[in-house]
Amino acid sequence: MKVLLSFFLPAIALAAEPKVEFNRDVRPILSDKCYHCHGPDAKAKGIPLRFDVEQDARAAITAGKLVARITTDKKGQQMPPPYSGLTLTAKEKQTLSMWAAQGAEWQAHWSFVPPKPPTGFASIDHFVSARLAKEGLSMRPLAGRETLARRATIDITGLPPTPREIDAFLKDTSPNAYEKLVDRLLASPRYGERMAARWLDAARYADTNGYQYDGERVMWRWRDYVIESFNHNKPFDQFVLEQLAGDMLPNATFEQRLATGFNRNHRGNTEDGIVPEEYAVEYVVDRVETSGAVFLGLTLGCARCHNHKYDPLTQKEFYQIYSYFNNVPELGRAMKYGNSPPLMPAPTTKQQATLAALDAKIAKQEQWLTARAPKIDAARRVWERQMPDVRWAPLSMRDGEYFTQGQPQTFEGSRVDLDEKSGKFDIDDIWSVSAWVDGKGAVLTRMSGNKQEGKGYGLHVKEGKVFFHITSNWVNDALRLETVKPFAPGRAHHVSVTYTGSRMAEGVRVYVDGQLAETKTLLDTLYRPFRNAGGVYKEPVRVGGGAGKANQFQGTLGEIRLYSRVLTDEEVAMLAVGKPLSAMAGEKRTHAEQRQVELHYLETAAAPDVRQAWQTLASLREEREKLERTFPTVMVMAESPQRKETHLLLRGQYDKPGEVVEPGLPAFLPQRPASNRLGFAKWVVDPQNPLLARVTMNRFWQSFFGNGIVKTTEDFGLQGEWPTHPELLDYLATEFIHSGWDAKAMQKMIVMSAAYRQSSQATPELIQRDPDNRLLSRGPRIRLPAEMIRDTALHAAGLLHESVGGPSVKPYQPDGLWKEVIMQDFDYNQSKGPDLYRRSLYTFWKRTSAPPMMMNFDASQREACTVRENRTNTPLQALNLMNDVTFVEAARFIGQRMLLEAGADADSRLRHGFRIALGRLPKPAELIVLRGSLNYHLDYFAGKPAEAKSLLWQGDTRSADLPDRELAAYQAVASLLLNTDEFVTKE
Amino acid sequence: MQRRQFLAALTTLLQQNGYAEGPVLHHAPKAKRVITLFQHGGPSQLDLFDYKPNLAKVHGQDLPDSIRMGQRLTGMTAYQATFPAAPSIFKFAQHGQSGAWFSELLPHMAKHADQWTIMKSLSTEQINHDPAVTFFQTGFQLAGRPSIGSWVSYGLGSENKDLPAFIVMISQGRGNAQALADRMWGSGFIPTNHQGVKFRGGKDPVLYLSDPEGYSRTARRRFLDDLGQLNQLKLDEYKDPEIATRIAQYEMAFRMQASVPELADLSKEPESTFELYGPESRKPGTYAANCILARRLAERGVRFIQLFHRGWDQHGSLPKQIRWQCEDTDQPSAALLTDLKQRGLLDDTVVLWGGEFGRTVYSQGTLTQTDYGRDHHPRCFTMLAAGGGFKPGVSFGETDDYSYNIAKDPMDVHDLHATMMHCLGVDHTKLTFKFQGRHYRLTDVHGRVIRPLLA
Repeated sequence: MKVLLSFFLPAIALAAEPKVEFNRDVRPILSDKCYHCHGPDAKAKGIPLRFDVEQDARAAITAGKLVARITTDKKGQQMPPPYSGLTLTAKEKQTLSMWAAQGAEWQAHWSFVPPKPPTGFASIDHFVSARLAKEGLSMRPLAGRETLARRATIDITGLPPTPREIDAFLKDTSPNAYEKLVDRLLASPRYGERMAARWLDAARYADTNGYQYDGERVMWRWRDYVIESFNHNKPFDQFVLEQLAGDMLPNATFEQRLATGFNRNHRGNTEDGIVPEEYAVEYVVDRVETSGAVFLGLTLGCARCHNHKYDPLTQKEFYQIYSYFNNVPELGRAMKYGNSPPLMPAPTTKQQATLAALDAKIAKQEQWLTARAPKIDAARRVWERQMPDVRWAPLSMRDGEYFTQGQPQTFEGSRVDLDEKSGKFDIDDIWSVSAWVDGKGAVLTRMSGNKQEGKGYGLHVKEGKVFFHITSNWVNDALRLETVKPFAPGRAHHVSVTYTGSRMAEGVRVYVDGQLAETKTLLDTLYRPFRNAGGVYKEPVRVGGGAGKANQFQGTLGEIRLYSRVLTDEEVAMLAVGKPLSAMAGEKRTHAEQRQVELHYLETAAAPDVRQAWQTLASLREEREKLERTFPTVMVMAESPQRKETHLLLRGQYDKPGEVVEPGLPAFLPQRPASNRLGFAKWVVDPQNPLLARVTMNRFWQSFFGNGIVKTTEDFGLQGEWPTHPELLDYLATEFIHSGWDAKAMQKMIVMSAAYRQSSQATPELIQRDPDNRLLSRGPRIRLPAEMIRDTALHAAGLLHESVGGPSVKPYQPDGLWKEVIMQDFDYNQSKGPDLYRRSLYTFWKRTSAPPMMMNFDASQREACTVRENRTNTPLQALNLMNDVTFVEAARFIGQRMLLEAGADADSRLRHGFRIALGRLPKPAELIVLRGSLNYHLDYFAGKPAEAKSLLWQGDTRSADLPDRELAAYQAVASLLLNTDEFVTKE
Repeated sequence: MQRRQFLAALTTLLQQNGYAEGPVLHHAPKAKRVITLFQHGGPSQLDLFDYKPNLAKVHGQDLPDSIRMGQRLTGMTAYQATFPAAPSIFKFAQHGQSGAWFSELLPHMAKHADQWTIMKSLSTEQINHDPAVTFFQTGFQLAGRPSIGSWVSYGLGSENKDLPAFIVMISQGRGNAQALADRMWGSGFIPTNHQGVKFRGGKDPVLYLSDPEGYSRTARRRFLDDLGQLNQLKLDEYKDPEIATRIAQYEMAFRMQASVPELADLSKEPESTFELYGPESRKPGTYAANCILARRLAERGVRFIQLFHRGWDQHGSLPKQIRWQCEDTDQPSAALLTDLKQRGLLDDTVVLWGGEFGRTVYSQGTLTQTDYGRDHHPRCFTMLAAGGGFKPGVSFGETDDYSYNIAKDPMDVHDLHATMMHCLGVDHTKLTFKFQGRHYRLTDVHGRVIRPLLA
């Protein structure tokens, strides 16, 4: 019924103030009922008259045409025409007529001009009171201190206060006790988590790619960046700038590049058989739409297919903005599993520290050896006179070596299966293989079904060329390449392939005889790991075959080597030397040979302290490489070196390119030079930009009061709702900029206001006159967002495990939910121990099967940007709170706290539980209900020990040793508290 | 609770739920509810309904350019060297007075030849599963818009105060399965209480329905009485209508705890029901069991019932896999029609049968005399409707000799939506929801009511 109630405000306004105001009263009608035809897109429809252009509109009005056409009953004359399906209400007709009669004063659309700072004294309360006074209303008295403590604590940290915190606040009689509370809350690391939750909705953050396959991705490092940024109170303009274009800032820091993950959070389609170009367009459109909604409060996406019907944005301008986001070197078809390029390693702060410590140790070892270099060299030269008869090869991260002794093996239709531990490489692993090859056919393969077109990888020689492939599906999920120049015939060649795990041909290097060889990419669409490509994958590496009869090797093969890392150019050259050290004595050596000699000496023959130092260095380097493997990656924005041409797309379709467009800003907003994405970002955060500060403050306001000052938080355009307190919004926006975009200061200002601190008790009269509390005739009373409901329950139970950041976790979820809808590969592997009890913003978010409790309580789906908070009230929520093991277990622990932490008598226990759950003491009438419930349940469980036991055994964490009957009864009472309206409400 | 208070709470509840304006009827409805038997993955029209006898003559021959006309193919076959025509290996026959064609795979459904409205000239804009199912479900290919069921719930509300208005059930087929997503029955930007509620086989047909082990219905009743008192005290003090709504919602939850298990419990169905729906219908969670549930939900006035049966994505080994799929679905689908009819429910229930797109006439992969695969084909596909105002015994639209292009009476997914809405008494152009400044509707800016389909 929100729709109906929105008419309520203008109606009051008209009664109280007969003067019609264009922006507030008239434009919404014109926009909603006329602009579809007589709006910015009128020309495209061949309609000459535009009501969004002052001249046109005034001409029509002063000539009396407007009033005549909207009041006539004649079918051919009537506006809007009956076929449009649009009609004006009597009130709307009256408003338009009054406006015309009053001289049809025109105003520019309020949100497209910069906010005006207040002229005289200003404060939140000043504006709120003035608005209420117009209605003959006034603010309610301050809320009780317990209520206020819970309200502010939940709003700022997302968690309720503990009884001890409430006591401390109640005891603090200093005049600034509340301010001290607020300051303490704003300084808590929980603040960043609470703020991040809404930002993740806006940024459509998730742990999977979405669409059909919905494989896992890794974006949590970006999520943690958001939490840290809020906790450090990073100036909001900087926060926005780096998320839009941090990668393009001069000398961009690690954090600034990490920030750009914001615009890679969109979904990625990995379905077999899609046309990649089509989805490449969707990703760019998503960035434009999301950036438009979050930073500008504009529905830019409406101009994708045609000029915007309501806002003065042309289709061409849409593609000009699009071009800022269209220069990312990305895949239209995303990786089935894991991150899609461009991406970067994103070590956590802890990992960065470990890395720095390792680097220091490595440097120390290197210095030690460098200092002794002359001495070592001299000793080595003596040793070189009698070098052993061994073939040297790198030791570090060796995965397997075969046929390194004696003559090369001859293969004539036979093959050799290697140890099953060797070469278990998948498409996202990092590895290298090498061999001496003389002949043709399959050198080394690891293929399912013993055929080339199965899944796996293979190194072949075909028609004298090296052919290498990694394949999950031969037709369209594979990478394949071959060398360009054929071998010189008649002798053995050394062949090496290194692979970075990038899943792209650019990550593969092929070497022939120690030299990097030019390659031709035959297919570069590898997406799915073997382990996910349907079933278990258990094939050994096969030498000389494994890819079907036709591909069996004919000739000789020797020195098969496998490494679980990328060999360097130098190492490959050394492997290709092809003779023992003994053959290098005294001779003039190549660089590779010289290095072999040096390394072998250090590894085996140098003085004990030198050998020790060398070994330490080698193991530190290996440790460093292994550490780097553990770094999470994150998808980030990057710029292609050459600007991609952007076309206007006719009807928005990827395959219907129209004229070429250059980057550019919408003409209806203040301008500044912006030739690329960084320029666009600077324009967004420019204090002259009328939207960012308003839109942001409006969202902050929404999070405290339940509604924005502009209710349509996503739309500040002409179809958006008129602000209930326009001067207040402008005041907040200008103050925000003036403060240096200090989010915490602005939020403090809001929670310090009397408007925020009012009691939320209503009267029947207030409910009638201000049903949605848009006028703030009372304090906010709003159902908590989904994640806070769960977090609050865990917190009250003492189960919450607080730890900021890290990989997403999988708390309780009913069995089988993923299985029902997804394809074969993923299971919901429920977390264990503390990870069952992390704050909900760390819950693994699978787009196609989102956490059910979150969905029951109106969480955003995370498919696309969501900035408006949504609250329903349904029976499924009731079932969820009563029966979900999360809440059943939480109730048990609240029951346990009642028994363990309060006195021995029932009343003090009940009071304690009430306070844990609801942050206040029960009133006598409430205590009577609780007593009744407790006694009922004590009786109930007295005769039902088995039932008590099964109730107590739900959930993973066991209770203290308490009598079953008591604990079960107190659990039932605690569950009662968790199900009250008050528990799920910020009051 | 006092009756007066309850009514007040209920009124608030209705307002809170944001129904369009109570039931929106633009004209007298023929149907009160819809059952969609969604065959997920894209069943082959060529092997089931769209009989093409002339194809036998061109077995294995490349699809002529005059038919293909350079149209978009999926990335799975776009690089295929040839596009060999693959006639169906299954026998077709005409059935009933209407003489409708059915293949031998669907003997039971064929018996209802004179009941079905067969639409052979449907097309969709989307060629891949996710966008095509999303398109069928929401009228738009990208996620984010409300699904058909939630539109109907939003427009018409519920006829049963103990059950949600939109219920979804999923069953697993034996053929190649594609992924579904919860958002396919989501409510997009309209309030989430209109989203489809998933009914599942097993202990909890609705998530969190059962009380915790060890907690009886009597105890739950007492619990809710106490809870009602606490909430009422709060309501008296704060006057917030949300509290009244919450009281009412807890009562509805309690009723659902009784009504849903009663509904899902097939043990009291007579033997004849299971005989009608086939042996699989005794196993919870199967398509057959879900068909029985669909009828039970229809009896209880649930507005929109949607079954998803997975496994119709036959890129390879089509003959083998489609047999499995038909074995699982043919008899129960037919039984549902019989059952609804016997109970007088078919007249005001629309039943729809079909998937997100059709399949290609040319073989994907190797074509032999007995084996072939078929890729996705959005240019034409067949759906069936029955009851609720659809004209029985009609075959609408034609495709060309290759079942590749539409030859006569084209219709698209929006048209089907518009026609279905029409049967429910809703003008699809008038049921709108304002979001991001725009008045959205299920059919976007498209859709025509296809009059010849209507009785």
